[in-house]
Amino acid sequence: MAVFVEVDHVDRVFKLPDGGEYIALKNIDLQIHKGEFVSLVGHSGCGKSTLLNILSGLDQPSAGGIVLEGRQVTDPGPDRMVVFQNYSLLPWLTVRENIALAVDRVMQKHPKPVRDRMIDHHIDMVGLQKAAYKRPGQISGGMKQRVAIARALAIRPKLLLLDEPFGALDALTRGGLQEQLMKICQENEVTCIMVTHDVDEALLLSDRIVLMTNGPEAHVGQIVDVPFPRPRERMEVVKHPNYYSLRNEIVYFLNQQKRVKIQKAKPAAAVAANGLEKVNLELGFIPLIDCAPLVVAKEKGLFEANGLSQVTLNREPSWNAIAEGVTSKRLDAAMMVAGMPLGITLGYGNQRPMPMVSALTLSRNGNAITFGKRLFDQGVRSLADFKASLDRRPDQVHTLAAVHPTSMHNLLLRYWLASGGIDPDRDVSVTMIPPAQMVSTLKAGSIDGYCVGEPWNVRAVQEDVGVVMAIDNDIWSGHIEKVLGVTEAWANQYPKTHVALVKALLEACEYCDDRRNREEIANLLARPEYVGADEAYIRQGFIDPYDRGDGSEPVAVPNYIQFYTGKANCPDVAEVVWLMTQMARWGVTPFPRNWLAVAERVTRPDIFGEAARQLGLIDIGRDRHTTQLFDGVVFDPDEPLKYLDQFAIKRDIRIEEVPMDAMAAV
Amino acid sequence: MQTLNTRTQPQSTMPATQEPFLLIDNLSKVYPTLNGDFVVLDGIDLAVNEGEFVCVIGHSGCGKSTMLDMVAGFRQPTEGEVRLETVPIREPGPDRMVVFQNYSLLPWLTAYENIYLGVNSVFPNKPEAAKKHIVMEHLEMVGLADVANKKPGALSGGMKQRVCIARALALRPKVLILDEPFGALDPITREELQEELLKIWRDHQITVLMITHDIDEALFLSDRIVMMTNGPAAKIGEIMQVPFERPRTRARIMEDPRFYELRNEALDFLYHRYAHDDT
Repeated sequence: MAVFVEVDHVDRVFKLPDGGEYIALKNIDLQIHKGEFVSLVGHSGCGKSTLLNILSGLDQPSAGGIVLEGRQVTDPGPDRMVVFQNYSLLPWLTVRENIALAVDRVMQKHPKPVRDRMIDHHIDMVGLQKAAYKRPGQISGGMKQRVAIARALAIRPKLLLLDEPFGALDALTRGGLQEQLMKICQENEVTCIMVTHDVDEALLLSDRIVLMTNGPEAHVGQIVDVPFPRPRERMEVVKHPNYYSLRNEIVYFLNQQKRVKIQKAKPAAAVAANGLEKVNLELGFIPLIDCAPLVVAKEKGLFEANGLSQVTLNREPSWNAIAEGVTSKRLDAAMMVAGMPLGITLGYGNQRPMPMVSALTLSRNGNAITFGKRLFDQGVRSLADFKASLDRRPDQVHTLAAVHPTSMHNLLLRYWLASGGIDPDRDVSVTMIPPAQMVSTLKAGSIDGYCVGEPWNVRAVQEDVGVVMAIDNDIWSGHIEKVLGVTEAWANQYPKTHVALVKALLEACEYCDDRRNREEIANLLARPEYVGADEAYIRQGFIDPYDRGDGSEPVAVPNYIQFYTGKANCPDVAEVVWLMTQMARWGVTPFPRNWLAVAERVTRPDIFGEAARQLGLIDIGRDRHTTQLFDGVVFDPDEPLKYLDQFAIKRDIRIEEVPMDAMAAV
Repeated sequence: MQTLNTRTQPQSTMPATQEPFLLIDNLSKVYPTLNGDFVVLDGIDLAVNEGEFVCVIGHSGCGKSTMLDMVAGFRQPTEGEVRLETVPIREPGPDRMVVFQNYSLLPWLTAYENIYLGVNSVFPNKPEAAKKHIVMEHLEMVGLADVANKKPGALSGGMKQRVCIARALALRPKVLILDEPFGALDPITREELQEELLKIWRDHQITVLMITHDIDEALFLSDRIVMMTNGPAAKIGEIMQVPFERPRTRARIMEDPRFYELRNEALDFLYHRYAHDDT
């Protein structure tokens, strides 16, 4: 699609009375297609209205420029109409006269009957026939804004610019107008750019949401693609499986911006002490059972015992937040899903590659695949049953969820489906949802099943909305699950701190796998600052027999979740190569031609070894081995491409050279 | 007759323990017009416990402000009544204080003087030092001791609304009535004030009735959400129990699967079952 509006490296600098400068916008670069609806979202003062004014020609950029259909925008014109929050109607003219004023002025060349038709058509469009001869003072705020929209569209602009159009209306009145605007834009194929504070409004209306950082030097922080099919209907949109994960992602971005504002005031400098480069650490975790090692290290004083005297645990809302936190240096280190250090290193999801390392595996196993009760009630008891039911009803769309593209949940779910002849992209769809939203999304019927860690499978079973189809031990017992992840730059800057951190967590892992401690740990995890779930949800699998919810007796699964036993902790290049094959198989990342160099760079058994030596732990390294999942296919880490080759169901594999040396310079 | 009297006597004194703290009892409001009666509210029943936080949500024109006006005593019901601790409400009083969206501060008085005005008229016999203490204590409660001598024109919207809350609470009301208090504030300030309000509510153990249009606000703050049907002749359509543990934090609520279920249920009520047409 050709670019319709181009915002080309726009800066806006205001001169201050004291001779200084205020840089409001810095290097805004944005391409908008014809017919697209784009929202600009950010806090007050982030320059979104300034950008809109520049688009309309009411303001000029200090550098860069705006191009609309190949022509530079230099001044206001009828091809770009703006609707403001305060309506801007002339109070002494009627609704019809307000619209006529614009039409008669811009369409002078057209005969009067044509113009009249134009005016009436647009009054009809916004449903104001009955109010056509009323003045603005006699109609409600919502009606006034409809007049402003009709006036703007009546002169057939190429681009409609909306500056918080419904900001003055209460949240509920806004709803009806949003739906009307959506319909009008759809029917008239208008290209729209809207500034708003309202995240629900942006999600309902937009194709893309541009999130702006706080000023000064505001820039585009993130662009969120909104995948809901059109035409849209509000309740269908909020029930879309990704609605709340997108909403929370945007809310999270805005909260981060709020925090950035506060942090700018007090930068956290590294505090060196106890022979370590940095003892004040911000660690990120997700409230899941497998955050236990971090919680134990904190609560049992293992961080302090290893010299890390100021460790703060940050409870993060999603795996995206974890990735953002570590790469933006807000967090020193975090518990990560297994493939995340590799994924970030390879630049998954079109992000800038950043070298990451992992020197410790925190846990193994602990996930399950849960299907909604509906499928179970339809007779789906196994993967083969699911395949048969898909074959019977190819018209039905099934959506399954995992937590992150680089997580074992995504890779195992896809592996499991594909081994049963189900293509996870063509026969069903697999979407990403944060763990905490799984149960409610399943209950709402927006998804049919998911793969996630605990307590979210147990909870679905106990609330009688889901049935566990497979646990990790059925698919690949003892697989890598959560790891400690840091940026390579951080590891290089704080080597002694890194070893101390690995030591503290390794001791914690050992503590977690002493079954005598499990009651105490379940108690800790239940606390609101950690997992914050009912202990009944935490105990299953962790301590008590595991109930799959399919009517069978709960069964004790000794290594349902594993923190230390079975040489669980040493980072293993072979496992990283397996992750590489599966992420390439599903198009998450390319397969590096220099795969061994990349895997060795991400995996740091040397740091682990140093930590283990200092703790006096010996022989806990991983042995070189081949791997077999439940389907019996053998993975030989020396032959990853041969392994990939034999899978019938896969995407086109991109094999690319990953320039590791160039990346170090980043 | 005597036996009857002795039997009814204890009953008329007992309701203090039997009747809910605040009772809206079969409340209706009808305005006579040239085209016949216009029924705003039609038979509202609601019992509110002492210390409860109740939000009322509904489209504009559903009569929710009319309902709270009758609790405040600004308007009189056509039928039914509102009783606070069994006493029927006939007029406004300092036991029920109202905070409006538009602040309603006197622009020529400072923040301190605006609060003092109320304190002085409700507690005229208290010593001057005690009155001064009450005013300052409540300005401190909302973090505005520094700007005590500023006039409303020099305060931000969020600060003005803090003054209003301080002014209302300085009179030690039994019920705090909030009519969309944060509707005019930007989202960040709104969230800050919501958090402050929750803290004040907890510390003062006051009963709160609050009108809002914001579902997230209602889910964050309240114990129950009263959802109104559209007017005319509006009724209580549904009452939603909000089960989140207190003290609440926003992040924790967003992790709770019930948040999404309740939010969608409320959206469905307001946008689907009782959608609003603004014509």
